[in-house]
Formats: sequence, structure tokens, C-alpha cells
Amino acid sequence: MSEQVSALIDNEVAPEDAEHLLGMLSANKQALEDWSHFHLIGDAMRGDNLLHHDFKKNLMQKIELEPTILAPGASKPATANSGKKEATGFKGRLPVTWSIAASFAAVMMVGWMALQQHTQSGNAPVIAELAELESSDQTIPAEYLIAHQASAPSTSSYYMQSVNYSE
Amino acid sequence: MSAGFFSVKVFSGILLVASMFAHISAHAEAENEAELWTVLQKAAVAARALSYEGVFVCQTTQKTRAVQIRHLFNGQSEFSRNVVLDGSPREMLSQGGELVIYNARNKDIVIEKRRGQNMFPAVLPVNLDVVKDSYTLQAGNQERIADRQAQTLLLLAKDSLRYSYKFWVDKEFGLLLKSAMFNQQNEILESIAFNQLSLFNTVDLDWFKPNIDRKKNYVMEDESVVSAETRFPVSWDAKILPAGYQKTDQMMRAVAGKPYPVAHVVFSDGMASVSLFVEVLSKRVALKNSQVKVTLIKNGNTSFYANEKNGYLVTAVGEVPEATVVQFANAVVVNNADAAAVRLP
Repeated sequence: MSEQVSALIDNEVAPEDAEHLLGMLSANKQALEDWSHFHLIGDAMRGDNLLHHDFKKNLMQKIELEPTILAPGASKPATANSGKKEATGFKGRLPVTWSIAASFAAVMMVGWMALQQHTQSGNAPVIAELAELESSDQTIPAEYLIAHQASAPSTSSYYMQSVNYSE
Repeated sequence: MSAGFFSVKVFSGILLVASMFAHISAHAEAENEAELWTVLQKAAVAARALSYEGVFVCQTTQKTRAVQIRHLFNGQSEFSRNVVLDGSPREMLSQGGELVIYNARNKDIVIEKRRGQNMFPAVLPVNLDVVKDSYTLQAGNQERIADRQAQTLLLLAKDSLRYSYKFWVDKEFGLLLKSAMFNQQNEILESIAFNQLSLFNTVDLDWFKPNIDRKKNYVMEDESVVSAETRFPVSWDAKILPAGYQKTDQMMRAVAGKPYPVAHVVFSDGMASVSLFVEVLSKRVALKNSQVKVTLIKNGNTSFYANEKNGYLVTAVGEVPEATVVQFANAVVVNNADAAAVRLP
């Protein structure tokens, strides 16, 4: 199931199969969790801007609000692997899939707006140049260390934070 | 006469035998070193091509962290998950060279993207040719690490511009079990070693997902690379550039607290890396400090050097001795014509 969810996110699944998977998702709690986890990995890998932490909650609410029941497709394992034969059934349910996608987009939009506000408020640039460098108490300035490790991480830097953020 | 002739003959005979021995031993040494490089090469491949799980401990002069690792190679791609068990929560998922770090920062989980090319135990590059230019390899004793028999190898720096390493390689699987970095005084600067290790055969990926903390906000780290410049506004003198280091990357980067993007060049000798930063000094600072102080700092295995050059601040940082960062910063030449380009935001 996890592999199928992963493939769905990577757009490797035929529309008919995707419809089946979405049916499974609404019926299967674990599958829904996988869906949100894979999105978190996939989005991060692709460099998408933000992952809203209550993405899953929102998606679940949206799915619950959907009037059409997708479960019958999932509850028939015999037809589960032959999605293509159900082309007519799929056609009828297509708008439902769309509305799920639309609600997902809405969640991402809200998240993106939240990020914009966050970065705008916390972005007062502090000019730190040599004056600060000189008075440094013999600790390598964090901004250079972080920049260095972002492009050329040493082995230990993967496992240790160069700056203690809780301070 | 005949006695003299005899003695010359004997002497030349001894010389011949001696030179033969010298030749044979040199030849054997070279052959032996070639074999050792093969062992190291196998260790580089084994770390990527085997499926294994365990716990290793990473230790620097400042911190110690235990890390749980699971690495899978399914015949096509590599997947690995590293969970830091000590200190603030930190988790890393990588697929091939793409690495995503989930890093707890106050009330947020910051998602950082990196290139994960030298994570333990894959600390060695698969292509060791560059490494051979700057290091020699010697065999050490056999030792036991994480309940496994290991052959030890010493990767010794040919000069004082880099640190040396000791590697413990599993005799059966060829996997790196322990790695230690040390300086010329034989002081250990960093060590990473398995405490537990086992191989596995399954290819399922159920484990390949992060632990999600629903009470936290998940945010992406700010994108810091402004552009991967092809026409770079800074030049350096290759004659002064420390031996064995090659340029591996260059970009214009946003650095925290800096109003303009900073030119960033990365150099590597195959094992160690040095970053070089060149940035405009604001007129205010330049006027205030007509004589800018030179700064040299060393924290553990990392050295830092900053100096002013022609109205620019040149900074070098890397996991190398102090002399190396000083040499890098001094090799930078800022031409006034080119320098104008740096000023553009």
C-alpha cells in the first residue's frame, strides 16, 4: 500500500488506479497517514516552500465533507486490480477526485500565505560585519559555518547542529 | 692486482644485490599500497551497495551523538534513514544523493535539503583518484569493532595542509566500521564508529518516513543560494592555492545578516573541504576600521580566517589546519574591474 501511495504522489499511477487508491485512502487510516508522510518527503525533496503541519487533518476534514462515498470501489478486492474495466464508473466519479485535489490546493495556499507573513515579519536584516567579527570570543561566526556546511557538509555536521537554536 | 680486482668485483656484486633488494622492496611496497587502495575502494562501494542497520556514535572535540541508521540498496537506488538519539531531535532521510534533514529548532521542525555525499559510513568518495594525490595509505593492525573483525588502514596526509585518517574496515563485508580524523600531533579530532551493526535482506520501505510530531510546525529552511554564477566576479592565484585542493562548487549565496549576496567557492581534496567567501565591505565599516583586524579562529577540526582585501572581506572556513584557510584567503585576488560586479545585489 505504501508503495502505491508513493507512486500516486509521483504521478506514476494511471488515473483509474489513482481513483481506486483515493477510495482506499478514505477507508484506510494507515494509508491516509502514509499519504501525508510521503507528501512531506516528496515536497521536501522537490524543494516546495512549505508543508503545513495540519495538512492531514485538513485533508481528512475535506474528504469527510465529500458527499460521494468512494468506499464501494475499495470494498471489492476482486475488481480492485482491474480499474481500467471500470471506466464508466470512473467517469461518473471524476468530479469527486477533482474536489479533493482542489481542497488540497486550498490547504497549500493557506500554508503558503502563512509562510509569507512569517518571513516578512522576522526578516529585519542585521548588518554584522567586521566590528562583530573582531569582538568574537573565539567561536567561529555561525553564519559562515552554516553557509559552509550547507554546501560542503563535513561528516559530523550531518548529526550535530552547528548552532544551538534553543538559546 | 688480482686481489684488487677481486675486491672491486665483490663490491660491485654487493651493490648489485643491494640495489636489487631495494628495487624488489619498493616494488612490493607499491603493489601493497595498490592492494590497500582497493580495500578502501571496496569500503566506499560497500557503504552504498549493502543494506545494513545499526547504531553508531559520532564524537567531535565538542559533542557526542549516537545515531540510529538504516540503509537500503534495492539494486537501483539507495535509501537511508538516520535518527540522532541524543540532544535535540534530528532526523535525516536520503534517497540517492538527495538528503532531507528534519531539524528541531525551538517550536518548529525546520526541513533542510542537502547533498548527502559523505555521510557515515559512506565517508569515502567512490573515485579515490583525487585522494591519492594528497594522501598515502598504510596498513595497520587488526582490531575488533562492534563485535566484528576489522582491518585498519592509515590514510596519511602528504603535507601539513590537511588532517590524516584511520579507517577500520570489516574483514568480511568490506564495510567501514569506524573512522577517525587526527592531526600531526596524533590528537583525535573526530571519530565515528558503529556500536551495533547487522545486514538485512528485505526491500520494503515501510520504515522510510519521518516521525511526525503533530504539536510542531513544519517549515522549509530559507533558500540561501541566490544563483549558481557561471561568470564569477572573483579570481584567485593558482600558484598560491594550497596543493591538492580543487574547486568543486561556486555560487552567490545569501548569508545571515549580510545585506548583499556573498560570493562562495568550495574547494576539496577529496576528503576535506574549504569554503571561501568574498563580500563587499560597507563604506561605513570600511571607514570606521581603516585598519581591519585579521581574525584567525580554530574550533576543534574547523579553522576560520578573515581578512580585508582591497575593500572586500575575504573569509575561509574548513575542516583543515589553520595554515590552509590562511593560504586560501591569501590566494584571492580582487580585481577592481571585476569587483564592480560583486556590488550588484
